[in-house]
Amino acid sequence: MNIPVDARSIGKIENADGLLARNSRLMPGDPIRVRVQRYDAGETGARYFEDFVVPYDTAMRVLDALNYIAENFATDLAYRWLCGTKMCGTCAVRMNGREVLACWEAVEPDMTIEPLRNLPVVRDLVVDRRPYEERVVSFEPWLERPSAYPGFPEPLSHRDIKDASKALDCISCMSCFSACPVIGLGNLTDFAGPAPLVQLAQTALDPRNNPAKVARALEHAGIFNCLSCYKCEEVCPAKIPIVTRVIEPLKAKTAELVPHAARHSLAFRAIVAARGRIDPSELVLRVQGPKVLLQVRRALRLLLRGKINPIRTIFRKRTAAAKAAARLLEKMRPAS
Amino acid sequence: MKFAYYPGCSAKSTCKELNIAMRKVAVALNLELTELESASCTGAREIRAIDPVGFLALNVRILALAERDDLPLMTVCNTCTLNLIDAQATFAEDPCLARQVNARLAEEGLEYKGTTRVTHFLWVLFEDIGAERLRDLVVNPLTGMSVAAFYGCHITRPPARYGFIDSRNNRSLEQLSELLGCKPVDYTGRTECCGFHTAAHDERIAIKLTGQHIESAKTNGADAMVTPCPLCHTVLDSFQKEIETSVGKRLDMPVLHLPQLVGLALGMSHEELNLDKHIVSTEAIRSHETH
Repeated sequence: MNIPVDARSIGKIENADGLLARNSRLMPGDPIRVRVQRYDAGETGARYFEDFVVPYDTAMRVLDALNYIAENFATDLAYRWLCGTKMCGTCAVRMNGREVLACWEAVEPDMTIEPLRNLPVVRDLVVDRRPYEERVVSFEPWLERPSAYPGFPEPLSHRDIKDASKALDCISCMSCFSACPVIGLGNLTDFAGPAPLVQLAQTALDPRNNPAKVARALEHAGIFNCLSCYKCEEVCPAKIPIVTRVIEPLKAKTAELVPHAARHSLAFRAIVAARGRIDPSELVLRVQGPKVLLQVRRALRLLLRGKINPIRTIFRKRTAAAKAAARLLEKMRPAS
Repeated sequence: MKFAYYPGCSAKSTCKELNIAMRKVAVALNLELTELESASCTGAREIRAIDPVGFLALNVRILALAERDDLPLMTVCNTCTLNLIDAQATFAEDPCLARQVNARLAEEGLEYKGTTRVTHFLWVLFEDIGAERLRDLVVNPLTGMSVAAFYGCHITRPPARYGFIDSRNNRSLEQLSELLGCKPVDYTGRTECCGFHTAAHDERIAIKLTGQHIESAKTNGADAMVTPCPLCHTVLDSFQKEIETSVGKRLDMPVLHLPQLVGLALGMSHEELNLDKHIVSTEAIRSHETH
């Protein structure tokens, strides 16, 4: 009899990818090698790493290791923390290339600790949060009723407020902002990044808010430059499903209030409703318009390899898939 | 073993070679695939975001088609897989919405009960065929071929679906590569994003990100890359010329669809597997073809 295999989790055991496994790799007194990135923006000199050896103690967290280093070896080590209990969101760092809250993450036998990415470093592990704060302020992140207060209790259902309330779990630790690959490319696009968008969602997804103000914010959020890679969700210590409960509802809101910013998604939907499947050539033509001429060389390469088919793009077939998609997408519009 | 087969839009258009290779490899692996001919797109990331109810309806219909035939549903695309898994979960969690969708499906005589098992070809290899049997089926071990696995996002994240604290800990593609005789390459791009989902309106993100991944694979000695997702393949292969312009050097990195790598180890030729239909030449790995 074969033991059932769960192919989705291959690697979990050998890489100790589980809470119990992660916490049972060390015994009290075991040495932990810690490499900490050092840097001071106020002085000349490049970033460098300093190595420390810290003795493991039961249930030791990254923050305990940093405290030990600051008390015993490097009294000038700069790092932020306040509550120590996963509430204040100030202690996020990168441990072995992954964003973690220092106050909540178990130490690893061999750790490289770096400051968060995508924000300027002030000193050592302390980053400057101003780029994030400025972006959030630009969204006018408050509730502004377009009509008079109807009195208590407000006529709001759980369903009406479920996404906005999920976003309120955010502790603004910036882990997602550091993990985001689009933000990692600098100012290539106008994408606001996950952390500012979670802040925006707290009020933009609240049905009591003024749609004109929400539209102003969404127009400049660059939200359709989110890749849906889920790297933000993976590192969120508050376990907010950022892609499905923040970004996607904000995309839907954008399609409703600022349709020109959602041109690509609306075209995609229209193509699937007409063809049942997506035709990549039609999508690119509809989204890019005349700019598509810049891609003639790629189009020729794809054509030569049979990867695109202009005849099929021009002459749509009314397939069974097309009929079903048309019916389902036409009649099942979101209740907004 | 019988499966309802859902190739998705990409394997029927820009990555036809994936569909062709998958069908040939399925025969060799004794997988009987029944394609769901009338299935539509799952809605990718676009319909999913702007029309969540329409998205659910499209996916539940696909799940219902497989359920009607009493077959597990096999995909070859990461994004389709996650969409179907997510729709399956919403269907179970929101009975009110589930009833609404079923009322629509009833118009064509369909009803979904919620029983379809959704799986991806990568998982079928381990769960249904099994590592031992697969090893026995390998007639052309790809010894000496260094392969960089490119997972793509939607087969290893979000954590709520796949359970990894750190998605970099996924080793399924490396384990598979080893079974086929290859040497897996460790590099920074393994579980990173290819940028496909913004490429139709702005391909700069895809080009910049994937440039980093291919360069990293090359620096770490990869002869080829392999991916279980046709969307990742599109960026890795079809955009590679633009990526080369962006990074300012030749990369010449062959990129294989997962069934193509398996097919080579099962003794199939480049032509049978449509390896000559890629944008980047795969001639550099022809020495690993069976003789």
